[in-house]
Amino acid sequence: MNTKVKNIVVCMVMAIFILGFTALCLFMPKPEFLDSERRAPAEFPELSVESIMKDGADYSDSFMKKFDDNYTPDNFPFRDAFRNIKAWVGANIFLQKDKDGVFVVDGYAAEMQEEIDENSIAHAADRLTFIYEKYLKDKGITPYISIIPDKGYFLAEDNGYLSMDYDEFIDKMLASVDFATYINIKDSLSIEDYYKSDTHWRQEQLTDIAKLLVDGMGGSYNSTYTQNVLDVPFYGVYAGRAPKPLRSETVYYLTNDNMANIAVYDHQNRKEISLYDMEKAHGKDAYDMFLSGELSMVTIENSNAKTDKELIIFRDSYGRSIIPLMVDDYAKITVIDIRYLQSTFLGSLIDFEDQDVLFLYSTLVLNASSEMK
Amino acid sequence: MLFSSISFLYYFIPAVLILYFLVPFKLKNTVLLAFSLFFYAWGGVKYAALMVIAIVMGYIFGLLIEKFRVKGISKLFLLLAVAMIISFMLYFKYTDFFIENFNKVTGLSIPLLRIVLPIGISFYTFQIISYVVDVYRGEKAQKNPINLAAYVAMFPQLIAGPIVRYSDVARELETRTHSFTEAGEGIRRFIIGLAKKVLIANSMFDLSEIAYAADEKTVLFYWIYGISVALYIYFDFSGYSDMAIGLGKIFGFHFLENFNYPYISKSATEFWRRWHMSLGSWFRDYVYIPLGGNRVPKWRWFINIFAVWLFTGFWHGASWNFILWGLFFGVLLVIEKFWLLKYLEKSRVLSRVYILFAAMISFIVFNIPTLGEAFSYIGGLFGAGGIAFSSAETLYYLRNYAVLLIIAIVGATPVVKKLATKLSESKRFGKISNVLEPIMLVCLLVVITAFLVDSSSNPFLYFRF
Repeated sequence: MNTKVKNIVVCMVMAIFILGFTALCLFMPKPEFLDSERRAPAEFPELSVESIMKDGADYSDSFMKKFDDNYTPDNFPFRDAFRNIKAWVGANIFLQKDKDGVFVVDGYAAEMQEEIDENSIAHAADRLTFIYEKYLKDKGITPYISIIPDKGYFLAEDNGYLSMDYDEFIDKMLASVDFATYINIKDSLSIEDYYKSDTHWRQEQLTDIAKLLVDGMGGSYNSTYTQNVLDVPFYGVYAGRAPKPLRSETVYYLTNDNMANIAVYDHQNRKEISLYDMEKAHGKDAYDMFLSGELSMVTIENSNAKTDKELIIFRDSYGRSIIPLMVDDYAKITVIDIRYLQSTFLGSLIDFEDQDVLFLYSTLVLNASSEMK
Repeated sequence: MLFSSISFLYYFIPAVLILYFLVPFKLKNTVLLAFSLFFYAWGGVKYAALMVIAIVMGYIFGLLIEKFRVKGISKLFLLLAVAMIISFMLYFKYTDFFIENFNKVTGLSIPLLRIVLPIGISFYTFQIISYVVDVYRGEKAQKNPINLAAYVAMFPQLIAGPIVRYSDVARELETRTHSFTEAGEGIRRFIIGLAKKVLIANSMFDLSEIAYAADEKTVLFYWIYGISVALYIYFDFSGYSDMAIGLGKIFGFHFLENFNYPYISKSATEFWRRWHMSLGSWFRDYVYIPLGGNRVPKWRWFINIFAVWLFTGFWHGASWNFILWGLFFGVLLVIEKFWLLKYLEKSRVLSRVYILFAAMISFIVFNIPTLGEAFSYIGGLFGAGGIAFSSAETLYYLRNYAVLLIIAIVGATPVVKKLATKLSESKRFGKISNVLEPIMLVCLLVVITAFLVDSSSNPFLYFRF
């Protein structure tokens, strides 16, 4: 092949490639949902005189900017395949260990927690101390605290990623809330207890952790469950951000006969809900099936509970999947998320008497606690 | 619209190429102009109108300069044209800078006008000036306003250069040929430029941002910052120039080279013969030489040099750091001319270390918005403030970007080009490369597309130009 022929081939190949993708961009049906990124793609931006005339500081709201930055990349044909190519090139050609702080080891994606945020620990401790001082101390309630390590604890340091000192982190947190009794679940967890593509832990792996918590608060845990399979593929929060392609996962959830008689009430939306929300299970984040996602206050009442004890749990999203495993042991569990509910209002919502109280938080939230109110 | 965007690659370019090659030759400049205006208006409709006004001014003054050439008042029209076009740029680009500094000096608080800087104004005003000056110097004025407008607004070089002289493309505006050979070379050049921008410049930008944002700065982080910024600016700018030159070839134009491996230079003098060559030669031919160049008394020569470098810096943006950046090179060039150059010529290693370090320092000043912070970064290179040399975080990111840094450093030298040329000259590999090259280009475009589809950062360096 001489140079002239080569240039003709270059022109032809490029023309076919570019025009082919142009045709696909124009005529291929647009995706309704980006499964691996758990979001809908950007819609075609509003086309109007006003949206075209925006410039300067308003340019980010213009038709052109939204078309360039959102619509065309989101709706590009075979977007997932291209994203996988990028991830592959980053990991295998450029030998980059992470992508925007997210890394993958043995198929498990995690986010680097590089530094202990002392201010965040102080803020979280301040909020928990406030709850203790205002609602618990005078009632003689000694709360329990348990801290869930994020996946970085198991994966980062040993594999050469930046990692904070998790033991130091937990020590600092516990020292700041020394009124609480610590239940150590960290040492009973392993990376297999977490989803590969998500931050969260897997409910079906948590019965031993539920036992640790219940027993640690004076109970006697002996519940058994049937494992159920959710019939939708699960892409966790890291699926769209990981430097390597992550496969979809299967979500399992545990049930037993007692759960049929449980009343769950969502105080935020003032309605009855279920332990497992099957509508949300089929939504953008299957993990939201556990206690219907991020709600500020939920109560769970079990008339068939083994005891008449009550439990108040202050938790983050990790708590949602383990709480259903504790319902056999408590007649009533009040679930509070102070990221969505001011702790100053708790007195008007809950009668603090002699309940067990558990602060159950992940290192992710405690190290970025500004939302705790 | 950015070259490094899905919209440009898969919507704009196919549309313009199809129409351009479908219409007869006499309409090609019209198609090019129409799409260029659309391309420019995509970044702000109002400013396209502004550019059209500037072009009309250039067109009218070009005709007037030519018409009154014999009567000797063409110089008056030239001065008027340059004054009007420059004032156009001064108003949109520098008004707030002058007000701000006037307020600082006088203690007044005249409100800023908050004028939005039209993208590419520095490039197209310089091209219009080049046109009227070239006409004044004897080039024929362009009678066809479409042709002149197509020259000024031509989208390949409109927003990031190179600054194309009217005299360089005057003939091609009237008549030019198109061939698969030229188009093939243009495509190759465009894709290489795009890869330089999307794969290397953007990654170097990310690394510089990581170093810039690091809470715990170390000496090594400051060096990583300096090196990554110098590489980012080079690959971004030269990548855009490659894309412009490549697109130009596809449309039958031959723009002059703009970068020639500046980081292999052995002096600042050589650096500026290799860096943004179209700007350097523009200032030489339209400012330095008209001021008298070096054929004047020494004191005037000094003034000429510093005027040129003051303007060069100021051209890059209305900010003191750009002025300092320009003057820094002015000082280096004067020192080299009077003293240093003869020593630099004696050591190839030391001279290269010197210019790499000087360029890095200059780009730290160029990239950091405030002078105080820029100086603290320069101090950080030498451990000012008693900071640690390194940290786990620094080493992690150095490792994480090591391959990209090596690719960027090697890519900033002519090693790869020389190797490719040598291989293509060998009979056996030449044949293989003929087959491999189209495949490699498609693979590169696939990877670039992947990086654009899943883009986390795509900085636009020229918004202050």
